[in-house]
Amino acid sequence: MITANFPNPIGEEHWGIWIALYFFLAGTTGGAYLLSVLFYPENQKLIRRSALWAFLGVVVGSALLVLDLGQPLRFLNLFLGGFYPASVMWLGSWFLLLSGAGLLWVYAQPTSRKAQGIVAVLVALVVGYTAVLLMQTAKPFWNASPLLPWLFLASAATAGGALLQLWQHHEKLSRLVVASALVEGVVLFLHLVWTYPVAAGAVLALLAGPLAWAFWGFVVVGWGLPLFLERQNVTLAALLTLVGAFLLRYFVVMAGQV
Amino acid sequence: MPNPKDFAILFDASRCIGCKACQVACKQWNDLEAENTKNRGSYANPPRLTSHTWISMRYYEGLKPDGDPYFDFIRGSCMHCTHAPCVTACPTGAMAHREGGVVTVDEKTCIGCRSCVQACPYGAVHFDEARGVVQKCTMCYDRISHGDQPACVKACPTDALTFGTYQEIRAMAEERVRVLKERGHTRANIYGLRELGGTHVLYVLTEHPSQYDLPKAVREAEKRAATGWLSAGIAAAALGAGLKFIVERREALKGGNQ
Repeated sequence: MITANFPNPIGEEHWGIWIALYFFLAGTTGGAYLLSVLFYPENQKLIRRSALWAFLGVVVGSALLVLDLGQPLRFLNLFLGGFYPASVMWLGSWFLLLSGAGLLWVYAQPTSRKAQGIVAVLVALVVGYTAVLLMQTAKPFWNASPLLPWLFLASAATAGGALLQLWQHHEKLSRLVVASALVEGVVLFLHLVWTYPVAAGAVLALLAGPLAWAFWGFVVVGWGLPLFLERQNVTLAALLTLVGAFLLRYFVVMAGQV
Repeated sequence: MPNPKDFAILFDASRCIGCKACQVACKQWNDLEAENTKNRGSYANPPRLTSHTWISMRYYEGLKPDGDPYFDFIRGSCMHCTHAPCVTACPTGAMAHREGGVVTVDEKTCIGCRSCVQACPYGAVHFDEARGVVQKCTMCYDRISHGDQPACVKACPTDALTFGTYQEIRAMAEERVRVLKERGHTRANIYGLRELGGTHVLYVLTEHPSQYDLPKAVREAEKRAATGWLSAGIAAAALGAGLKFIVERREALKGGNQ
């Protein structure tokens, strides 16, 4: 166990911008890898490229998480501290470590479909655990509805598809992004309705309060506009979708702590 | 259910006069720095617990339907739950039950991830920016493990706070509720018997817990996470299969038309 005492000079109690940025990076790049394994099994070049991006997403994201700790040097205690499978934070740190190693392996050398599938399961756990992490808390906006994993996974599919669209235009990808964006929108709407009775403060902060810029920014710029632009300008639509994916993670993280 | 021999505190709201002697004693014994206080229209100060304020009285005042004024006090602090969400959420084992059922944080191994801050339904755990670790009530573990009472209990001038074994404290609480009911407090009740596996701090209340903003039917962190994992698993399977079906069936149909 690391007991060295070097407090983080920028430490704060809120889970803030670093956490939201990590959710976005890991979710988007992880989503791109999952989609390429699931929908382009023949295209090894695409799989390896998205594995590299997902590896970078996991590494940079983990670095942001360490940067956010109150005692960054003690992050090793996550791995040395013992066996705590009931803690989603503990499980998540192992998922990050294992998926990072797996993604590097998929990128570094030609691998079998089965190996890529196993790494895909690890990546799906990285994308999905973030929502479960929020659900384990006592914040009603995060835990009152079971839909947060749906929202994060659908958003990962939308944003991951948008990332793939930046590299190659493909009609299949367009359909994929539109379908998952529609699921995402429906899930977000249901989540707000579901949590409103117990987390009215958070929902109102999103609709007409301090977080309205992020919420409506997502709805208009990061979700509605890309759906509209999908047929005209795929690259612009994909870029806006990525902006939207970040805004979504940001307002979900902040609204829980209103 | 706590062990009958565990340490326990009883807070009797019907005896409390709201003098804040417990708040001051806690600061003195644990050497916690003062907070800037401000008149917010209530006697509660500071309004929430912080990393330097481990116990704080909350005040509820107003008029009953029959015109009688009421002025109720509640102790806000760590409840030392048997199934403590902060302990479940901790990824390093720094937050743990000590002998006697008391929950404390090990400052030397805490990494400052704030999972416990988010997990606590009582808002009793807080992040100390200067030290980079979380802080909370220790039930004065340094005192009680040497046979003394916690500082807050020792300072209470009206016996609203009592310290003893869980068995004694629970019997006292039940006796007190019986007496209060005899005196016409028909809604007298004990809070903390069922919450989170039974808490090591029991409250005797004269009104329903919601009157004091105490959470009822708190879900345990393990159950919240289990719901999350289940939902995430269903979401991943449904989204993967659903998107695959939508996208590739369309493709197959188009192939047939050509």
